Amino acid sequence: MADRAIVDKIIQALAEYLKRDAGTIKAAHHLRDDLGLDSMAVIELLYKIEETFDLQIPDQDLVGLTTVESVASYVEGRLAPAKLAVKKAASNPAMAKSPTKRKAK
Amino acid sequence: MASRVVITGLGVVSPIGIGVSAFWKSAMAGQSGISAITSFDPFPMDGYRSKVAGQIRNFSAEEHIGSSHGDRVDRYAQFALAASREALSDSGMQMEQEEPHRVGVIVGAGMGGMVMGEREITQLYLHQKPHRVHPNFIPVITLNSASGIVAMATGAKGPNFTISTACSSSAHALGQAWYCIRTGQADAVIVVGADASITPLVFAGFCSLRALSSKFNEQPERASRPFDRNRDGFVMGEGAGALIVESLAHAKKRKARIYAELAGYAATSEAYHMVIPREDGEEVATTMKLALKAADVSLSEVDYINAHATSTNIGDAVEAKAIRALFKNRADKIAVSATKSLVGHTLGAAGAIGAIATTLAIHTGQIHPTANYDDPDPDCQLGGLSRDPQEKKIQAALLNAFGFGSNNAAVVLKRFRA
Repeated sequence: MADRAIVDKIIQALAEYLKRDAGTIKAAHHLRDDLGLDSMAVIELLYKIEETFDLQIPDQDLVGLTTVESVASYVEGRLAPAKLAVKKAASNPAMAKSPTKRKAK
Repeated sequence: MASRVVITGLGVVSPIGIGVSAFWKSAMAGQSGISAITSFDPFPMDGYRSKVAGQIRNFSAEEHIGSSHGDRVDRYAQFALAASREALSDSGMQMEQEEPHRVGVIVGAGMGGMVMGEREITQLYLHQKPHRVHPNFIPVITLNSASGIVAMATGAKGPNFTISTACSSSAHALGQAWYCIRTGQADAVIVVGADASITPLVFAGFCSLRALSSKFNEQPERASRPFDRNRDGFVMGEGAGALIVESLAHAKKRKARIYAELAGYAATSEAYHMVIPREDGEEVATTMKLALKAADVSLSEVDYINAHATSTNIGDAVEAKAIRALFKNRADKIAVSATKSLVGHTLGAAGAIGAIATTLAIHTGQIHPTANYDDPDPDCQLGGLSRDPQEKKIQAALLNAFGFGSNNAAVVLKRFRA
């Protein structure tokens, strides 16, 4: 189960997009079958989620993103290394100076 | 024998009223829809030479078209949809009783989805984040987004086109619908003209072209003054007009009310200059002549002209010269009015909104005033112009529309006789 805070943010984004009460959207909901999003609408939602979480979702990652839960798990997975990097940077002054350069290598 | 074509439904979103009844009431009162542009947030207006426009201030996409269709299209397409819905309802045509592939949609649009277009281009250049370009950018700015959304909302599955010939777009849309029905491609066509591009970049572009009025920034309602001596450029407007046109047989079959007959049309190119008309007016005169020929209407039958009349110095003078050259000693006996004096120049919507004014003039016998025609310019004086409403039982009328790119359109409408 994905982090509750991430699930809630995604549900909030969906509620705004669909103009419906966030309380009616569940983590288990399928984006197409339960929430009625067509393929274009899923792309619009992901555009919003990219902004919310400051992410770029590559095309090849779109395939598994079919439910609220799967989107949340994906986002969590993407955020985790970033969090880890921040933690590492804090404990390693050399990394903190040039994390981008290291990443590029 | 080619089908006769009639107009059976009207819809409009304009700076002087949303809905035909509000539009016509304001038009007959000579009410101006031109107001000051307070700001292009976050741009102050200081850098703009012109500061007035025919803006629609009370349009709610949710109220007029519902959010399901409104969210994915730009402002001009929202206007197109609202006008189409009104026109369909006005015509009494029930789409569920129609053969869907026999009902077409032809939209005229000059600029298209510039609200989102400008915003996304600006953001891209400012932040250089290509991945943040909105996923709907392409579908929204693609120029046929309005004709697509009108079909989706109404279920019209017949020919679906967008015509973009700048300021004459929807006069051509009306003319092409006439052909479409006459040649049997469709029983009915939803004809729409729409534009909504009073946006920071487009407005600046027209300012830079020195095409807009700037003398009346403090008195916006006086800025659009076709044929008047003090005119100094056009005033941008926004809006949409929609007309239901159908074959006479189809209209009779469903016992529709007929406003007027769409009798003929001509399309020409001056092959001359991107933005300047030929000063002798010969090409404009030829276009009107060809339209009358197509309609089998003689010069002596024409008793009203809804002029293109944008309020530019050269444009109005050329049109007046052309009317005089074609109609000779009858030129001063023909009633003339300029719808742009009321709503400004709505670009791609202008032909359709002008056609609605013409249709209503034929139907009601009332011709709306030409606002601000205070001091007739001797260079373009026509006896049939008036700043007051006129009453006339019109038999045949011409609608003129000319566009950048050196193109002209003239449409002939007639009183309907069975």
